Amino acid sequence: MKRKRLLSILLALSLAASLTACGGSGESSAPAVDGESAAPAESSGEPILIGTISPNTGNLAAYGTAVTTGAALAVEEINAAGGLLGRQLEIINADDQYDPTECLNAFNSLVSQGVGLIVGSVTSGCTSAITGAANEEEVCLITPTSTADSITTEDDFVFRSCYADSFQGAIAAAYAKQAGYDKVGMVYCAADTYSKGLYDSFSAACETYGVEVAAVESTASMDVQDYTNQFAAMVNAGVQFVYAPFYYDVIGPYLVTQARAAGYTGVIMGADGYDTTPDYVVDGADLTAFNNVYWTNHYDPADTSEKSVAFVSAYEAKYGNTPSAFAALAYDCVMMYKAAIEAAGSADPVEVRDTLAADGVVYDCITGTYSLDETGTPVKGASIIAFEAGTGADGKPAVVSKLLDVVTELPQA
Amino acid sequence: MKQNKTMQGYLLNTVVIVVLFAAFQMLTAAYGGSGSFKLVIAPCLWQCCYLIILAASLNLVLGFLGQLSLGHCGFMAIGAYTAALLSLACERSEVFKNANDPVYLVIIFACILAAGVLSALVGLLVGIPALRLKGDYLAIITLGFGMIIVNIINNLPFCGQDGLALGSASASLYKNGLGFGSKSKVTFLWVALLTTIVCMTMMFMFIRSKYGRCIRAIRDDEIAASASGINTSFYKVMTFAYSAFFAGVAGALYACANATLSTSSFAFTNGGILNSTFIVVMVVLGGMGSLTGSVVAAVVMFLVNYQIKNGAWVALLPASVQGVFQYPMLVYAILLIIIIVFRPKGIFGAYEFSLRNLPADLKASRARKAAEKAERKEAGAHV
Repeated sequence: MKRKRLLSILLALSLAASLTACGGSGESSAPAVDGESAAPAESSGEPILIGTISPNTGNLAAYGTAVTTGAALAVEEINAAGGLLGRQLEIINADDQYDPTECLNAFNSLVSQGVGLIVGSVTSGCTSAITGAANEEEVCLITPTSTADSITTEDDFVFRSCYADSFQGAIAAAYAKQAGYDKVGMVYCAADTYSKGLYDSFSAACETYGVEVAAVESTASMDVQDYTNQFAAMVNAGVQFVYAPFYYDVIGPYLVTQARAAGYTGVIMGADGYDTTPDYVVDGADLTAFNNVYWTNHYDPADTSEKSVAFVSAYEAKYGNTPSAFAALAYDCVMMYKAAIEAAGSADPVEVRDTLAADGVVYDCITGTYSLDETGTPVKGASIIAFEAGTGADGKPAVVSKLLDVVTELPQA
Repeated sequence: MKQNKTMQGYLLNTVVIVVLFAAFQMLTAAYGGSGSFKLVIAPCLWQCCYLIILAASLNLVLGFLGQLSLGHCGFMAIGAYTAALLSLACERSEVFKNANDPVYLVIIFACILAAGVLSALVGLLVGIPALRLKGDYLAIITLGFGMIIVNIINNLPFCGQDGLALGSASASLYKNGLGFGSKSKVTFLWVALLTTIVCMTMMFMFIRSKYGRCIRAIRDDEIAASASGINTSFYKVMTFAYSAFFAGVAGALYACANATLSTSSFAFTNGGILNSTFIVVMVVLGGMGSLTGSVVAAVVMFLVNYQIKNGAWVALLPASVQGVFQYPMLVYAILLIIIIVFRPKGIFGAYEFSLRNLPADLKASRARKAAEKAERKEAGAHV
């Protein structure tokens, strides 16, 4: 009996140890960053705390990694240049697991640690759970990637570094019109804030541009693994352009290949959720399926502007891969805080908020040079990017991205 | 004599609960405004409250009735949306203007009650056909039901698509009513605690009544129970509906605590610990057939989940352990394996913690251990 117990304890421990090993290798970048940013502050005064909230585990963990690394890179650069107002920056990462309840917990935990400036959260569904709390606690919130329109409209302390869905969906509709598609279809998830928001703006813009929405299909949730029926309906409706706002975790493995298998050969258009899709394509999948897949993004990693090149090379040097738009937007969030703190001459959340809300401040960032509109949303353009079967950096066949177009303003109807 | 003892037990429990409640109220009054109480303790208590009610209510079906239900969060979703929409309706029809209105308290409790009643009604409707099946088949039906509920809510124009699930507008939609911010969560903390106490009392009374004995008889041997004159279908459906009532109440508390609703929170699985799978895990972990076990398991699961992500002590651990903590789901899995290896019947088994019986239970447990030891010694001597 005793020996059995001992054995089971040992087994449990060895399991734990093996997990530690995986954990260590998989996430090695994030803790290392923590260590560096927490290095002893040479400048006087306490460090300025910046919190990040992102889905570091769960289905959308790639977004979490991108946001934490992007923000950490910005903080490191600022600290290396002597910090802000003579103080160093310190970053505290919190995980929301892509769950609204956990997001609120993470927010409360950060605020109780004295954080007044927060970058996050990533998904619109999670961010909407903390915007009210940010207002009540008078904590600044800049979300890197929550594009739902309603995120910034209600609450004074909430800003973002990305464009809103009403712009993003309209860009896609304008592209459909411009490319000569008069009849389009939509596959979306009615339950999700992000997908529904894009659905609304895309269908509204279609009406404006005189594009007929011939078929609409909805899925039960954002992580459904079967899209065959939806795309069969698209084929039946005879559309050659389908707008499908989902996240990368289903686009890569399921949606595109299943759409092609269902006989759909036309264009699949998506939004910024398609970022990092090439990393999630199943080995051995038919890569030509990804031809004719387009999506709107916040920036293009191949951008040749000086700032962008510097960011991409610094990021690649540090983390060994090309930064996604999410990393760039998180980097921009920290840079917006930097500009606001310098302009306000203080890191007090209320003063920073007043500076962010002031008119006419121009932020020169990776994802564009922009100012914020009255709701706190940047006025900037979008890149339209296409996937195609090609050769990856390692010489193997892979899905690669190609910049199609940069749209700075919506065309007239 | 027996009557006397029961009375003693009730009296003791009532006194202890009232004292604890009063002490807690005083603590809240003293520290309620300060940062960590408002930001950490109060929200945590809210979450514990609804998890406790949820786990205990599932235990009625899973532990006492012996039927596996995998769609319990579906009932919670019904409760949450009912409460939120009702409060929104009251606000829009100007039944109350703000939280200082005296009617407001009535509205809160009316919303909680309505959430429970509607869930119970749906539970009844689902239970009547579903409980004709047993075991795996019932599990599949309830699983499907959970998904159906979520889809229906998503597609109802007044709650899913354009009602309560659209970005921060969802927070503002009912935030003047039932959706509590940090301050209101402290002010109305007693609502959560009181609701939990009342629900737990109702569940305890249920399992100790003749109904409770009947459903345990059904769990142990359905044919024998039926032969003894127990109407098994009636008791099964009733327990199912009763359990759904409390899941609805838990949903109402969830709506209060979160101030924004999205159906992904009530799915079969999701990133957090609030989903139908984890509630089953809580019940199994605490002990099927022990309500106090469910309470303990709900609190333990919540604390583990909360602490490994937000606890300050995590930073003090060696980097290798922190590496594991980066993946909370793995930690639960390890914890679950360890507990099930050492306590296959859950933390409490079928044991109910009771203040009155505590001294006697301790004595009995010590005596049993001594007897076991003696027996083992004797066995050893013979070999």
